[in-house]
Amino acid sequence: MGDTGRAAMAEGPRRTFASQQNRFFWTLLSPVLVVLGVVTLLPTLYLFITSFTPLSLATPGTAWNFSAPFSNYKLLLTDERLHNSLWVQAKLSLATVVLQLLLGLVIAILLNMRTPLMNALRTSFLIPMVLPPIVVAIIWKVLYSPDISPAWWLFDWLGWQGVSPITDANWALAAIIVADTWEWFPFTMLILLAALSQMPEEQREAARIDGATSWQVTLYITLPYLKGTLLVAGLFRLIDSIKTFPLIYILTDGGPGTVTEVSNYYIFSQSFNYSYIGYSSAVTMVLVLIVLVLSWAVIRTVSGKGHDHG
Amino acid sequence: MTMADTTQFLSRREKIIANLAVILLAVMTLLPFLWFVIMSFKPVDQIFAGVSGLFFTPTLENYAGLVNERFVRSIWNSIVTSTVSTGLALVIGVPGAYALSRAGLKRDRTMSLLILASRMAPPVAFAIPYFLVYRTLGLLDTQLGLIIVYLTFNLALVVWLMRNFFDATPRELEEAAWIDGASLWGTFVRIVLPMSIPAVLTTGMLCFLYSWNDFFFALTLTRNSAMTAPVEVVNFMNYEGWEWGKIAAGGTLIMAPVLVFSLLMRKYLVAGMTAGAVKG
Repeated sequence: MGDTGRAAMAEGPRRTFASQQNRFFWTLLSPVLVVLGVVTLLPTLYLFITSFTPLSLATPGTAWNFSAPFSNYKLLLTDERLHNSLWVQAKLSLATVVLQLLLGLVIAILLNMRTPLMNALRTSFLIPMVLPPIVVAIIWKVLYSPDISPAWWLFDWLGWQGVSPITDANWALAAIIVADTWEWFPFTMLILLAALSQMPEEQREAARIDGATSWQVTLYITLPYLKGTLLVAGLFRLIDSIKTFPLIYILTDGGPGTVTEVSNYYIFSQSFNYSYIGYSSAVTMVLVLIVLVLSWAVIRTVSGKGHDHG
Repeated sequence: MTMADTTQFLSRREKIIANLAVILLAVMTLLPFLWFVIMSFKPVDQIFAGVSGLFFTPTLENYAGLVNERFVRSIWNSIVTSTVSTGLALVIGVPGAYALSRAGLKRDRTMSLLILASRMAPPVAFAIPYFLVYRTLGLLDTQLGLIIVYLTFNLALVVWLMRNFFDATPRELEEAAWIDGASLWGTFVRIVLPMSIPAVLTTGMLCFLYSWNDFFFALTLTRNSAMTAPVEVVNFMNYEGWEWGKIAAGGTLIMAPVLVFSLLMRKYLVAGMTAGAVKG
């Protein structure tokens, strides 16, 4: 605003400086716009176009074939394996978001007490989140493999006979949920800790002086204060849970059967294992749409709340 | 940061319980990770030795097993693709972010949405069109191919984070330089860039981490010669049986730089992961 105002009022040499400035800014900006357009918008457009073709790499002549443009989208409605994958995704997302919010909240509230011991241990809680996702997946593969997992030595010792949860249709999804929760609770924890460190003390102190217990303070003052932050953190985890990939790829490969096959994974196998690119593109468009809607919700929430998270 | 003493109202018992809970949770968080790192130093026969495998003489044999042409090349591919893509994103993105900030364009939600969505979109949304185009252009299984794909998330991240940085930086210095007759380019190169070095380094490290951690694009867009280390490690699970020793050693090697970098800049982790929409 300031610049345009000043530019409008300026005369003579000042005006030419303003237009020089304008040219300079566009020179700096145009490479970004061009490159972003080429690397992100064009591919998305291509994906959109492909979703109207029956493109399959195994069948020649399917690339730019628009004879039945909506057949992929019609198939979406009747593809039971896709519906199953959306349902699996919903279960996985809901469970992990709730668990990560809970665990993140508990640890954030604990760490916010800031005893010397806690300050020393603080960083260790970040480790799962910063590890390469593929390494996280391998770590849990080790833990879920009976012949090398320390957990199974303990089970042996206790005399339990357990199969690995990742090969058991009843437990495979739970196994993924546990691993994913371990990987991502640090994220919600960090956001909540940041919000807690900016929480005004007066209210809590007043409540303490009036004789409220720690539980009451947490329940009636801290939690309501964190409501907005919990929403944002939850939304972010929700969007991110749609791209869960390495865990499923390494731990269960979508199985047993299709019990852990989320939509993202279904698309991966349809497109890169079976080459049904046209149909996969249509399914991907649906996922992209979901991500767009959720991202929009995030932006609304964050910008509506102003600097609360700053 | 001045911090009110939040422990003053806690009873001794509460403090002890809270401390114990934190210790327990920290152990549960660290154990899976430590187990894996320790495994990488175990002789292969001890990995399967059950409880007696707890006591072993540390060895580097698993790491020595990684010194072969394939794995070294995959690490090299990881380094090249991550570094070059980060460098490109910075060279293109930093000036652009500066212009966005100083041109006084209004922050509009559409742009925020596009940048956030491009960060949050499932990688498969990019992998499919890139796969098709690369097949035609001969960019499948090349370092250049990966470098371009990594720009999809790196460039948006640079623009977003650096714009936030420039918005928070006063423009008096630049204006003073202009009044003294410095050119626009001269001001940008000699005044703006030097003062943004710390922010540029932080942003660059984040970009490097995201590229280094990538698994999906490397899995779908490389086959062999441009394969990066994360995919190569997974291959120890398929081709030559399950070589747990090498898997643990390779995994530990991949995570080492990431761990060091990200703990150095843990303050910026959240800002990076949310494309700057939330600060940590």
